[in-house]
Amino acid sequence: MATVAFREVVKEFGKTRVLHGISLDILDGEFVVLVGPSGCGKSTLLRMLAGLEDITGGTIAIDGRVVNEVDSKDRDIAMVFQSYALYPHMTVRENMGFSLRLRNDKPALIDERVKQAAKILNLEPFLHRYPRELSGGQRQRVAMGRAIVRDPKVFLFDEPLSNLDAKLRVAMRTEIKALHQRLKTTTVYVTHDQIEAMTMADRIAVMNEGRIEQLGEPLELYDRPANLFVAQFIGSPAMNIFDGVVRSGSVEALGVRWPANGGAVEGQRVRYGIRPEHLEPGSAGIPAQVVVVEPMGAETEIVARVGEVPLTVMMRGRSRAGPGERIFLAPEAAHAHLFDAASGERI
Amino acid sequence: MNKLLREAKLWLIAIPILLWTLLPIYHIFLFSISTKDSAFSGALWPQHPTLRNFGTVFRQEHFYLHHFWEQIWNSLWIALGAGVITLFIATCAAFAISRLKVRGGRTVMNAALFTYFIPAAFLAVPMYKAMGSYGLLNSRWSLVLAMVTLAAPYAIWVLKQASDKLPWELDEAARIDGATPLQLFRLVYLPLMMPSLVAIGTYALLLAWNEYLYAFLLLSHENTIPLAVGLGHFLASDDSPWELLMATALIYALPPAAIYYAFRRYMVGGLTVGAVKG
Repeated sequence: MATVAFREVVKEFGKTRVLHGISLDILDGEFVVLVGPSGCGKSTLLRMLAGLEDITGGTIAIDGRVVNEVDSKDRDIAMVFQSYALYPHMTVRENMGFSLRLRNDKPALIDERVKQAAKILNLEPFLHRYPRELSGGQRQRVAMGRAIVRDPKVFLFDEPLSNLDAKLRVAMRTEIKALHQRLKTTTVYVTHDQIEAMTMADRIAVMNEGRIEQLGEPLELYDRPANLFVAQFIGSPAMNIFDGVVRSGSVEALGVRWPANGGAVEGQRVRYGIRPEHLEPGSAGIPAQVVVVEPMGAETEIVARVGEVPLTVMMRGRSRAGPGERIFLAPEAAHAHLFDAASGERI
Repeated sequence: MNKLLREAKLWLIAIPILLWTLLPIYHIFLFSISTKDSAFSGALWPQHPTLRNFGTVFRQEHFYLHHFWEQIWNSLWIALGAGVITLFIATCAAFAISRLKVRGGRTVMNAALFTYFIPAAFLAVPMYKAMGSYGLLNSRWSLVLAMVTLAAPYAIWVLKQASDKLPWELDEAARIDGATPLQLFRLVYLPLMMPSLVAIGTYALLLAWNEYLYAFLLLSHENTIPLAVGLGHFLASDDSPWELLMATALIYALPPAAIYYAFRRYMVGGLTVGAVKG
């Protein structure tokens, strides 16, 4: 177990700068998720921590030791790749024990550690099989097993669930989280899937264009997004956002008045944000016309138009409203998010 | 019906090509089982087929065959030598260029491939001169080295293409697992490259086994020449023993056929790697 510290980390590929001075402290035993859209630099940051990419500027330290010039193998880390990267010519047992074999550990010790990891991951019946004889989920578990046997200071996961189908992804998510709770090893996990980030992380770093937009606990990011990017990225379905102007304590937008908290100046141009579940239809409020109704069983997603702008509404239970019908939306001021129209920062 | 027609067309092309290919081999066979008198009779099957020619060859009972076993050993020695050395050089080069991304690696590979623009026959004289300078003339090593020179660029290119297809994450996983470049080479790269290595080793081996021009130039002593050159000596007299020449030729053709048959799976898979975009 160890802490990880990024200090003003910069990465350039030729003349293109992809990371613009990232600073991030990860605590001992913490599960931090780096999340962001493709090309935001999250995988590059992880690969720099792994020693697979050179560091252009700044420092990365593991357990207080700066590792900029330290070889991957000497950083005491283990990584799980998106493509699993299992050695196809080795059995599960050999794959998992490979790093220990390279360390010249005794065969008895290797065997014991592999068995231990296999037990944790329910891989015992598959130890003699080759990767090609395993399902996607089993392969992913072998990749995790390979990381566990080394008992590293830090686990690195690079989009490990992206190649799995939706159902298996949910199952593996739980497994990885349970594994972390059991081993308490510091973990850095990269994903583009905000649901993975929300469900697994102790803290999330939302990245965009080579910068960390916001760092915080999952619900903190959800409840108080620091800017428009985080507001739109975190949460599914995404937050409704539209332009408005502050008028006597509320926001005038789409031809109606929307309740808002203080903080904004009278007449200020803002972007008004409200999450779909905070727009539950009521008997009175802002009139909207239903466009599409998507029942999902426990809840119903409705796309309804206010003026010309379609808004997503999420309601618990089922809806009797049909397309073309009129409903009333009743947003609360406590759930409204205001962002400066020019800078996109939270007001 | 359409499928039948298409297949029929293919057969119409395939059968003449097959016959065309097999005809010379059939004639070799025909000669080798004929007596000296009936060798040129023109019949499609000899009146008194015999295996005596093979006995004569194996027992070295003819003036041209006095060094048969020695020469076939030379052929084997040279082919194996060329195969092993080419494989070693090409594998190391492909690993360095493709996986370690050594600076200038591609340039070296392209420069090596560039040598194929010059026909091998033109290189024969400079090669002779070079071998002479190093005192290697009439040594089997001279032919081994010459064959390695000819086979290596192609071998490097094919293996480099095959290497490029291995997932890059495997190298990264191995690096994180603690593998040095040499361990990566030995424990991950070589096992995964095995089909291509077999194909390229076989290619270099057969190239050297079948070589005549360089063997003829660089080796001149009865004890050092491979059988391919030994066979050429049969034609030195007016009254060549064709039936023995053909029997020897047939024996000489068997090892490559056997090797090709044994590794045919790798040959097709290995040599076409990189031919099309995966």
